[in-house]
Amino acid sequence: MASISNIQGTGLGLKRELIPQLQASYGTSLIAAIDFLEIAPENWIGVGGRAGKNLAWLAERFPLAAHGLSLSLGGPDPLNETFLQQVKQFLDRYQIPLYTEHLSYCSDGGYLYDLLPIPFTEEAVRYVAARIHRTQDILERRIAVENASYYVAAPISEMDELTFLKAVLEEADCDLHLDINNVYVNSVNFGFDPHAFLREIPGKRIVYAHIAGHDQEAPDLIIDTHGQDVVDPVWALLKEAYALFGTFPTLLERDTNIPPLPVLMKEVNYIAELQLGQVPRQLLAS
Amino acid sequence: MTLPEFQQYQLQFAGHIRDPQIKPKPAMVQAKRMRVYTQIVFNNLVSSVSACFPICKKVLGKRAWKNLVREFFIQHQCKSPLFRKIPEEFLQFLKTVKGTPPYLYSLAHYEWIELAISVSETGGNAEQIDAEGELLDKQPVFASAMALLSYDYPVHKISPRHKPAESLAEPVHLLVFRNAEDDVRFIELNPATARLLHLLQDGAMTSRQALEQVAAELQHPNPQAAIQFGMGVLGDLQQQGAILGGKV
Repeated sequence: MASISNIQGTGLGLKRELIPQLQASYGTSLIAAIDFLEIAPENWIGVGGRAGKNLAWLAERFPLAAHGLSLSLGGPDPLNETFLQQVKQFLDRYQIPLYTEHLSYCSDGGYLYDLLPIPFTEEAVRYVAARIHRTQDILERRIAVENASYYVAAPISEMDELTFLKAVLEEADCDLHLDINNVYVNSVNFGFDPHAFLREIPGKRIVYAHIAGHDQEAPDLIIDTHGQDVVDPVWALLKEAYALFGTFPTLLERDTNIPPLPVLMKEVNYIAELQLGQVPRQLLAS
Repeated sequence: MTLPEFQQYQLQFAGHIRDPQIKPKPAMVQAKRMRVYTQIVFNNLVSSVSACFPICKKVLGKRAWKNLVREFFIQHQCKSPLFRKIPEEFLQFLKTVKGTPPYLYSLAHYEWIELAISVSETGGNAEQIDAEGELLDKQPVFASAMALLSYDYPVHKISPRHKPAESLAEPVHLLVFRNAEDDVRFIELNPATARLLHLLQDGAMTSRQALEQVAAELQHPNPQAAIQFGMGVLGDLQQQGAILGGKV
């Protein structure tokens, strides 16, 4: 049985475009810094043929982490338990120890296939936390939820994002998938100090992190495209997070405008460099 | 029962994203920021749908295509959480929509089946297969990812320059399958071969039994010659990887 300790160090988000390059450079120093890969179950459940064989090939060679897209933890529809059973079988089949999802919603009677923000209200905290509980029961494991990026502040919100995030983690008693880029994106989009936000994060709950680039549309608006290189202020946040909490498995996300693998590896290597000589958070915790 | 306030807000928020012309955004929400969602979510959906249906998009033209995807977004509630099923959801929607060219559903189905066959999870063939021996008195085993299709329009020939004005007098029959290299192949079949493969598809008949039945149905004057000819066709399909061999 794969354990969560299999997911360590630095990872890369798997895109189909990257598979031939990963296969060609397997075992070479180019990708030596890739300790694990991340996949979205929604893109791989029930997939056979060439794509299915590729996944099996990768799963034999790399630890895999699963990062979900469609669970709609904050959505108005009933939790899709049939889908959760499929996720469970998928995690078992590929020996995937870690499953994370977004603190957002993506359905309104039907799926919209994009992540929409949950208003930060007391009722929403209780609702989302109950659904996380149920998810953990069905999957028979703890899950981690990710702080999501967003563009519209709900006028009906009763608290700020940080208070909401902490309340959900506490009430659901689940882990945190810290998205460093999202902290920065939201700090620009809503005008707060990302470092102050970071310092208030319950560090003991962090099990996993994302780092990524984005598109700066205007001085006060960033679109979270994962389509550019990681910017310096985001690297600075990652460094500070390691200093504050110890290191945690950290994955580079690149979803659009994907450069060749050697270019992506520069950023993966840089994550590994930042982790060098630092103490893993798991060791600090025990 | 009334919904909690945050859920009413969420439904209004999502409803506006689906149909920004008709459904108002939630009160007090910044219009400029709301447009980020109305644009991004729709554009992502258009990309996902267009990726599977490039010919449909071409024959309709960009504008009509976008309008059609917008109607899909407004009217259809997608039930699958899996992104790769978006094209299947779109196909379901096309079945119900009015005012599109009559051949559009068939064309879309033809485009979709390629994706469906390329990724379908088959679990492999459970039976023992003899790939070398004579097929005549065996039940042929087909590639595990395959479909036999009949269309009322010449879907494989439709393009912006060739839009069928009316349906065919006789349907076009296509065999689509995934070969050993995991490539998807299409083969056009004549009606007799299509009938033969339908008989053989569920694995109950031997080649000889199915060929005798087809010859009888066609009232073929020389059944022996028909069987010989049919075996040639099956041999050819085996060569191309549509038939893996005979059931042992």
